[in-house]
Amino acid sequence: MGSTEVTSVPKKSSESNDVADVYGSNLKILPCNNQVKELQTILRDKNTTRSDFKFYADRLIRLVIEESLNQLPFSKCVVTTPTGAKYNGLKYQKGNCGVSIVRSGEAMEQGLRDCCRSIRIGKILVESDADTHEAKVVYAKFPDDISERKVLLMYPIMSTGNTVIKAIAVLKEHNVLEENIILSNLFCTPIAAKSLVTAFPQMKILTSEIHSIAPNHFGQKYFGCSRFIVGETTNIQGKDI
Amino acid sequence: MAAKMQHFDPPSSASSESDDTEVCLDEKEIFLADELCEDAEHYRRSDIGTPTPQSPRPPSTGSQRSPRSRRQRTTSLSQSSKKTSAESILRSKTRTIYTAGRPPWYNSAGQQVEPFVIGICGGSASGKTTVATKIIESLDVPWVTLLSMDSFYKVLNEKQHEMAARNEYNFDHPDAFDFELLKTTLQRLKEGRMVEVPIYNFVTHRRESRTKTMYGANVIIFEGILTFYNVDVLKMCDMKVFVDTDADVRLARRLRRDISQRGRDLEGVLKQYSTMVQPAFYYYIAPLMVHADIIVPRGGDNEVAIELIVQHVHTQLQLRGFKLREKLAHSYIGQPLPSSLYLLPDTPQIKGLHTFIRNKETYRDEFIFYSKRLIRLVIEYALSLLPFEDVTVETPQGVLYPGKRAATDKICGVSILRAGETMEQAVRDVCKDIRIGKILIQTNQQTGEPELYYLRLPKDIKDYKVILMDATVATGAAAIMAIRVLLDHDVAEENVLLVSLLMAESGVHSIAYAFPRVKIVTSALDPVINEKFYVLPGIGNFGDRYFGTEPSSIED
Repeated sequence: MGSTEVTSVPKKSSESNDVADVYGSNLKILPCNNQVKELQTILRDKNTTRSDFKFYADRLIRLVIEESLNQLPFSKCVVTTPTGAKYNGLKYQKGNCGVSIVRSGEAMEQGLRDCCRSIRIGKILVESDADTHEAKVVYAKFPDDISERKVLLMYPIMSTGNTVIKAIAVLKEHNVLEENIILSNLFCTPIAAKSLVTAFPQMKILTSEIHSIAPNHFGQKYFGCSRFIVGETTNIQGKDI
Repeated sequence: MAAKMQHFDPPSSASSESDDTEVCLDEKEIFLADELCEDAEHYRRSDIGTPTPQSPRPPSTGSQRSPRSRRQRTTSLSQSSKKTSAESILRSKTRTIYTAGRPPWYNSAGQQVEPFVIGICGGSASGKTTVATKIIESLDVPWVTLLSMDSFYKVLNEKQHEMAARNEYNFDHPDAFDFELLKTTLQRLKEGRMVEVPIYNFVTHRRESRTKTMYGANVIIFEGILTFYNVDVLKMCDMKVFVDTDADVRLARRLRRDISQRGRDLEGVLKQYSTMVQPAFYYYIAPLMVHADIIVPRGGDNEVAIELIVQHVHTQLQLRGFKLREKLAHSYIGQPLPSSLYLLPDTPQIKGLHTFIRNKETYRDEFIFYSKRLIRLVIEYALSLLPFEDVTVETPQGVLYPGKRAATDKICGVSILRAGETMEQAVRDVCKDIRIGKILIQTNQQTGEPELYYLRLPKDIKDYKVILMDATVATGAAAIMAIRVLLDHDVAEENVLLVSLLMAESGVHSIAYAFPRVKIVTSALDPVINEKFYVLPGIGNFGDRYFGTEPSSIED
């Protein structure tokens, strides 16, 4: 999957080996190439306009979602092509769903919809207490049979990982198996990565970059609404200007 | 000397017959050739009535679109078109020859095959045009470019203009021609490149603001009164024909032409003839006869001479070789894949998407949805192959971030009709406001060769990185032609990215061999091409499945 093809950017392949050493094999980084790097650069650049920000964020999200879907199970199958020849293909398995963490996780919903038209999508709203900074779940709505599904959990920015840890706890309360969770993420700090792989060793994580600075302006810039509107901005955006 | 009376427009060419639609053709053709000086109008064939292979689709490109829906004009422009005589059909007693698709003008390695240049020289009204027409007719090669020296008259200043009005300006003197421009034009044509030929207006004695776009062809015929005058031009002619018609006959023709067709008076014509045309003929034109390989007495009526010329040209063309597709399909078996091939990583998603779109049971709704997903991945991957440069940006978090930026924003897409157009949306989705050009290439059902019919490219395409799109590549014949077109428009080879969903190995080899610096991007590589040039196991005809135009009897 991911790490097999990093032909165009050799420098990155060594990095992804390091990643496996530090964080274990369940954390994967989107194969980096110049193109991905450019998207990340644009998203981090403070001079990027909102319109550009959303445009390029959506592109990066699409790539991350496509790569996340590669973590889903599939089975072999043979189909007949219009030329009459046989093609040895793969079939996706049913029984998946998406779960987005409000608000910035919802930015990734469209990307998922663009790949899986009728997938079910649940939501979790996690807010942090203004005084204690402790994350707590305010709202959660899932498909009834979520415990039997693979869950694609979407959240673009992780700086401490607290919000996501809380969300996963909720999923587990709903009897979702840890190994059935795939976390889709754009930007992750080493701290968050470490605490997540430690807390949930069986969960798969896909991110596009591990970097000590998280672009915390993501939700605000993507949606164009400043903090105090909806929960998660106050949570991880404490230091943001 | 004034314009030739019946000078048909450059990219005339011989091809299939059919006289039945002649009348309509006539009008249509004039309009489009006359009005649009943009690129490639010349590649287009007439809008209506042409016996084009409408149905069986070219398997490799899948790209086909009927050009007939375009441009139904009602206004008549025939008045102006007479002046500039921009007509792209030839008519003779037996048949009509019109601009058909342009067949390959390069060999199987994608390299230019030098066109065969026939220079025709002769006095005014000696029948050069008739000879040229007859040669084109009997040659029966699909693509001939006819270049007339009349296009290269110099622009007259006020004084000269007045002289011309008094029939005192000498149009028969070598100084009346812009030989420098002529030289470069012919040279470029010989290299198979695109040229802008000026359109000379004999009323204003100026070049019109628009130009005529022409392309090199298998055969270029270059005719005029002083075609052998310039040494460099003379060297470029592979065959030199002098049309030698008796002076009386020429004068008679000229009188008839100028008086009845150009509304001039007898006095003026005779004055011009005796003071300039005739002296110039003896002084400048007649001596050029020594350069000729063949002298054709009596002009167009001399069938034996024309037959000889045609035979020689045929032999020459055969030596240069133009049979492509078959050659392409059968070489390179078992060779290692070229390094210019960039295959998308074989992930379960990509494999799964291929499973959907290859399955003949897949409904069109799903076919479109999943092919779009796949296309997006291919395009994203292709973009990563463009040049990037290091940049450092400031983040809202107050930290500098070392990143990358595309080294150029001059990126354009070019889709090969029709299947390539399915990829346009994805390119627009990833590159804001990108320009997209189009190329229509169809397979000639008789020869099995690809032919170029239509072309629209961004201006200054030479400065762009070009993402060339076709959904599937089988033999690569269409892709090679498209790349050749881009190179002829001065796009650098390394600036071309050929992007496709599915390619056959042999096609990849052919393209990589012909154009080693073109980057080839695809999401899957199939091993075989069948005898109908379909890829196996393949996808079927991508365009048909996407647009829902499969022949109803596809079952088997």
